[in-house]
Amino acid sequence: MMKIMRHRWQIRFVHWVTALSIFILFFSGFGQMPVYKRYFVDQMPGLSWSSDYAITLHLHYYGAMILIFISVYYLFYLFLSKETDVLPKKGDVKESLLILLSLLGLAEEPENDKYLAEQRMAFAVTAVSILGLIITGLIKVLKNLPDTSIPLSLSFWATQIHNILTVILLISVVIHLLAFLIKDNRPLFSSMFTGRISLDYAKHRHSLWINRIEARNSKDKHIH
Amino acid sequence: MSMSRRSFIKRAAFSGMAVTAVLSGADVAAASINSGNEFASIINLTKCDGCKNFGTPSCVAACRSKNQNRFPQAQKPIGDYWPQTKHEDWSEKQELSNRLTPYNWTYVQHLQVEHEGQEYEIHVPRRCLHCDNPPCASLCPFGVNEKMPEGPVLINPNGCFGGAKCRDVCPWEIPQRQGGVGLYLQVAPKYAGGGVMYKCDMCYDLIQKGQQPACVSACPNNALIFGLKGDMHDYARQWAQENSGYLYGLEEHGGTSTIYLSAVPFEAIHDAILNQEIDGKPGKPAMPVGVGNILDEPAGMAQGFLIAPVAGLLGAGLSVYKIMTGADNDENNEA
Repeated sequence: MMKIMRHRWQIRFVHWVTALSIFILFFSGFGQMPVYKRYFVDQMPGLSWSSDYAITLHLHYYGAMILIFISVYYLFYLFLSKETDVLPKKGDVKESLLILLSLLGLAEEPENDKYLAEQRMAFAVTAVSILGLIITGLIKVLKNLPDTSIPLSLSFWATQIHNILTVILLISVVIHLLAFLIKDNRPLFSSMFTGRISLDYAKHRHSLWINRIEARNSKDKHIH
Repeated sequence: MSMSRRSFIKRAAFSGMAVTAVLSGADVAAASINSGNEFASIINLTKCDGCKNFGTPSCVAACRSKNQNRFPQAQKPIGDYWPQTKHEDWSEKQELSNRLTPYNWTYVQHLQVEHEGQEYEIHVPRRCLHCDNPPCASLCPFGVNEKMPEGPVLINPNGCFGGAKCRDVCPWEIPQRQGGVGLYLQVAPKYAGGGVMYKCDMCYDLIQKGQQPACVSACPNNALIFGLKGDMHDYARQWAQENSGYLYGLEEHGGTSTIYLSAVPFEAIHDAILNQEIDGKPGKPAMPVGVGNILDEPAGMAQGFLIAPVAGLLGAGLSVYKIMTGADNDENNEA
């Protein structure tokens, strides 16, 4: 079966490091809410440390450093490589609705580029949430330092926004995972490990993307 | 405040006389609050006798009477904190004055302390020390516990969810929880939250008016002194030097706004508290000497937040450079 490269190793690296850091941050962040003791999470084998705020706070800091590293990496990667397929385009809201309708059998799925319109929208929501979480998180780090004084209203709102964005990010991660309930999406799963998807699948589901590549290849041939 | 008045205060303080009279001058506090000064208090254990001749220590009685309108009005019945089969309810024990409760924000520990073969009878007024870098405030998940520029650490009872994390991260476990009251009742009372946390607020309303906290005004022995933090620190250090005494609260937990003065070491007091006071329930704090702050280590890690983005930037630059120069074979259109 012919395969085509969909995600360079850099993108796979960004994806999995982001996933790892967000998992650490969710777990340690919810540990900062006083819930693990109450809900006996710390009674589970190997998790006795989970209700220790000092440990979960450390973990949260390490997770945040990893997330900041990979976010900056990705931001500059996008900027320098100009691989902007994942960024939202004009008309994506309307096209996302069309895709949703097509899932229900009420419309024809539009022709897709490398990413579906709703993937680009979901990316934007996730990216903005992560950016907001990083900014508000850094304000909270600053507040935790001795001998620093930041305005009370700033620390109050940083905390509220951090909590709200956590819920938004959690919902988007859940939706991201639920997307694999849809059969058409499943061939994409292995591409986040191997980087490749079948050419037939790509032609069928991402025709605009394949057309672009073919156009570029034939242009290259003409030049050479 | 003019220099002459400041030095006058110091002289008066060190003379050991008239100190309370001077520092209780409302204008001192009023003048300094406008300039954003920080306050602190001194608790002199060599002067506190626990008000043995009164029923309830004066500071405790004054605190209760001053704050009685702010005590929780719990809605009954109070549900358990599911899936736990317990909840915290002090509403039937409001009269208790021998421990910290949501209805009693200061109390006096009565101890027999042994030091160098001698027995000392020591009375230790206990309440929030109002830390310089309070984890109870910084780590509050709802951002409703705050350190004010004037020194007090305040819990907003309208935003508090009663998770009691502030009590868990406090080395003295000062904030006390009352169930059946507060915001959590409006959300999912069975599953999240547990009430509202209560503790001393340094009588923030009074110090804003240029007055002293109720406990300080009520002390008949001048064992409690309240004033500008710098002055209180100077006074405490000088006192310790002149009396070969011991201090608590100056270094502990990264510094606090309450300094205890004692003729016996606090290690001995701490041991006595552990032996005589602690009963396994909240509200009877010990006095661990040199206790650290849960935020100390994270502060040391904070430089990582400066390194992480630089590493990300360099890594991205290197990756893209490799792609552009063809050194990276992970081709995009390799079929």
